[in-house]
Amino acid sequence: MKIAISSTGKGIESQIDARFGRCVYFVIAEVKDKKIEEIKSIENPSINVGGGAGISAAELVANEGVKAVITGNVGPRAISVFSQFGIKVYSTTGKVKDALDNFVEGKLEELNSATGPMGSGNKEFGRRGL
Amino acid sequence: MKIAITGGKGGTGKSTVATALAIELAKENKVLLIDADVDCPDDDIVLSIDTKKVKDVENMVPNFDKNKCIKCGRCSQVCKENAIVFVKGKIPFLVPEQCTGCKACEIACPVNAISEKKQIIGKILSGKKENVTLVTGEMKPGIEESSLIVNAVKKYIEPKEKNYDYIIIDTAAGTHCPVIAALLDVDLGIAVTEPTPLGNHDLKLILELMKELKVKSKVILNRSDIADKKEVEKTVKNFGIKIIAEIPYSKKIQEAYSKGIPVKHKAIKEIIKEIKEIK
Repeated sequence: MKIAISSTGKGIESQIDARFGRCVYFVIAEVKDKKIEEIKSIENPSINVGGGAGISAAELVANEGVKAVITGNVGPRAISVFSQFGIKVYSTTGKVKDALDNFVEGKLEELNSATGPMGSGNKEFGRRGL
Repeated sequence: MKIAITGGKGGTGKSTVATALAIELAKENKVLLIDADVDCPDDDIVLSIDTKKVKDVENMVPNFDKNKCIKCGRCSQVCKENAIVFVKGKIPFLVPEQCTGCKACEIACPVNAISEKKQIIGKILSGKKENVTLVTGEMKPGIEESSLIVNAVKKYIEPKEKNYDYIIIDTAAGTHCPVIAALLDVDLGIAVTEPTPLGNHDLKLILELMKELKVKSKVILNRSDIADKKEVEKTVKNFGIKIIAEIPYSKKIQEAYSKGIPVKHKAIKEIIKEIKEIK
């Protein structure tokens, strides 16, 4: 199965990016029989969009055919895209590699709702807390 | 005459001034007060008016015909709001709160698989007090584009405008789309500000916007005695306009405001004098 992890850099030695929609990279891992078989990293084009970053980032990973997403925080719109396509979401911190190991061991907890309001991952353009 | 009460910064006293002005003008004129701060309208609270819904505000959202759709993803590509999610081999789906009803997807679809469906995005409410008719736009929480509601309110009042001597539009804070929508076609834009660095900064932005929109502008300085007003005076001078009234900080005004009583102050009469000269 394929898993997408929001990451601050390329490869599994990087740290997980706490933001989903506006993370820097997605590390896509193919896992089979609890082993990592293939790794690729893709740049997240949604990092600078005005609005709806969570939606387009979720669309991107859905198009990669992933069945699970590991990230830090995720908003309500991205969650609605994931549920539409039956993609499971897990929240954790630390290294991408450790998160993957914990995932295959079933140690990560599944998220069923957003960790914060939409726009939270955008420091410059997002909604100001009014 | 159509007058917008705006200001850039939030909490400067736009609603306080707009309601006080409406009540005072209504002593001798027919006045329509529009609450165009549709994200959080509260002129009805300031004036203690019981408003009733007169209309739902709707916009059009795409409806996908699953039998006609060829899963090409064109609709998602043309959607500037990222409201349409498309994944290869699947029927696209809509995130309705994100949709502004622009219909680009409908035009882009090569097989006419998109039809229009209505979505309620807000409502228009109305009420009356002492010769002031209040019309309020209220956005449904979670909807992305509040200017749609402002435009719907403006369309709603259009046929009624001729029945009034003055139309006062209380805008939202900021300089974004709903504020622009409210400022279009007004005869005068009054910016309410305060003598603070924030007030001055945001005043420059709203005056710049009104200049861009070719809206005649004036300034009211609220809480005029809480700090040095030099900077605001400099800004106003740079724009070649003037401060038409100053309202000092007053406990009496605060008390009236918190009790839902329209504010009475001699500055309101000064504002009306200025408005009449323009008219």
